[in-house]
Amino acid sequence: MKRARSSEADEETPRQNGSSGRRRGVQQHRGNEDDEGPGLGAANLQDDDIDPSLRREIRSKYRDLINSVQQNREDMLSPSNNKLTEVLEEANKLFQDVREAREAALDAQLLVVATDLGKEKASQLFSEGAAFDPTAFAEHLLSFMGLNRLEDEEEELQNGAVDGYLPQDAWHRVAKRAESCFKTAPAFHYMMGSFHAEPPPPKQRIERQRKVPGKEAKRMMPTQLKKMEESHQEATEKEVERILGFLKGYHQDDPSTPISYYEFVIDPNSFSRTIENMFHTSFLIRDGLARMYLDDKLPCIAPVEEGEVEAGGSASRKQCITSISLKTWKELIDAFDISDTLIQPLNTQNE
Amino acid sequence: MTQRKRLSNTQISSQSRRRSEVAVAEEEDGDLTFTQPSTSQVQRGLERLTSAQVDQKTAEVVQYFLVKDQKKIPVRRADLVKHVLKDYRNVYPEIMKRVTQSLDQVFGLKLVEIDTKNHIYILINKLEPAEGAPLDNSPTNPKMGLLFVILSVIFMKRGAVKENVIWHTLKKLRVDPGEKHEEFGDVKKLITDEFVRQRYLEYVRIPHTDPIEHEFRWGQRADLEVSKAKILEFMGELHNQEPQSWTQQYRDAHSTPNSTQASTSSQR
Repeated sequence: MKRARSSEADEETPRQNGSSGRRRGVQQHRGNEDDEGPGLGAANLQDDDIDPSLRREIRSKYRDLINSVQQNREDMLSPSNNKLTEVLEEANKLFQDVREAREAALDAQLLVVATDLGKEKASQLFSEGAAFDPTAFAEHLLSFMGLNRLEDEEEELQNGAVDGYLPQDAWHRVAKRAESCFKTAPAFHYMMGSFHAEPPPPKQRIERQRKVPGKEAKRMMPTQLKKMEESHQEATEKEVERILGFLKGYHQDDPSTPISYYEFVIDPNSFSRTIENMFHTSFLIRDGLARMYLDDKLPCIAPVEEGEVEAGGSASRKQCITSISLKTWKELIDAFDISDTLIQPLNTQNE
Repeated sequence: MTQRKRLSNTQISSQSRRRSEVAVAEEEDGDLTFTQPSTSQVQRGLERLTSAQVDQKTAEVVQYFLVKDQKKIPVRRADLVKHVLKDYRNVYPEIMKRVTQSLDQVFGLKLVEIDTKNHIYILINKLEPAEGAPLDNSPTNPKMGLLFVILSVIFMKRGAVKENVIWHTLKKLRVDPGEKHEEFGDVKKLITDEFVRQRYLEYVRIPHTDPIEHEFRWGQRADLEVSKAKILEFMGELHNQEPQSWTQQYRDAHSTPNSTQASTSSQR
């Protein structure tokens, strides 16, 4: 322990000078030649500088040394060995060939690590009473856990670490012993066991539900749209034909009396149905299936006879716009005294 | 285009920030509504409830604590209110008073608020461990053995230990933090995550270290649950040494009886 400390201190100072000297340049460096070792001439020095493989080797050795110190730190801290001294002596040998700043930096890094170790070793000295050594603690614990050491006596010497066979219940033994040191609340368990919540299934279900309609909706979309268009057209056509049927029926009932347009179209119970009727009737006029004329300044409507259709169709096209508002609708109902609709609504007809 | 994108981004970020602020505010608000119901508020709240309702809620909270304690993860009051108390938050102090009493007198457990700021609770066994064989034959949890070793090293090293010391010691015990252990699984996760969440350990970064180094300390639960004197006793047995020979540790173990450590630990 003390040897480690003192040798470390001895070596630190000159080595520090050496590395700082390197930074100042080669000229300065020659002045410090005593700690670089004898036999290093200027020529020699230049040769070394050019040889990159040697430089690499030195750096790699330094790194190995730093790594081994970091990894075996706890072993090195143990008061029972002189590993720190050994590392420092090794580093001192390496330093004889140090020429470049990079190597010197590595040397300084090793020094930092070594100093840290030294500090920790020193702190062990200060502690009052018996020191605690985790390594020794681990050894004792292994015995307590029932380590079978007899088998690997040789390996133990080789590796520096104890090898051996730990029984299956090694940690249970420790836990058992530890129980008395804990005031842990005993874990609460159901006598019949508890059921396990199963979160995954509901999640899957949600995913399925989402996916399936998505696909179907995609497949359904185009056909649905077509159907809607068709049905809409069909409905209009059907309705137009139906109204034509009414018109022809009334005309046949009494061909001499003109059918008043407003009386024909207006549904006194529904303004919106009146609009629909006017809309559909306009198709009859457009297609030349019905014609409108003024009788005593009042618009009248009459079906076009089968033979006349062709002739009238291309002859003279006239356009007019019929409009109706809620107000005029009411006025017309009063004026014509309309009490019933001539065009039966579709749904009531069905009934 | 890019400008618009940027604009919308900032909008989003500011929105989300606002939202999080709101969330925080709500949490605080929520906290306030059940932290400080005044005595008269509690009184009024109780008047609206039958005693059977209060008893029922108390029982639910007791059960929540017991079940939560299976994993030794501390109970946050916010969770307790959210999952169990719900509409009873206005009578929170009264319920907790009854819960503490029930845990104490029926179960022999002590409910400890280890964090008075965030209101975090753990359960401690009030009863001393039985001498000799334990009464229940429940199988021992090997993790407790591992935890015990770590706590012992920390204690013997006077309260704080660099993680390397722990890893090194465990390696000697055939537990390598880098490898999957057949009993502990991911050892590093168990130690730095599970034990830490259970508040047995603290795993803190040592400032100004490059590369980053951490050290272990005792967690609040360990301070409350674990007897330093008994650890020292075990150390003596192992090393075949008198516990008194570790002068400082012996002083530590016997100067602060466990019952009063709650306050010191929370101050640390």
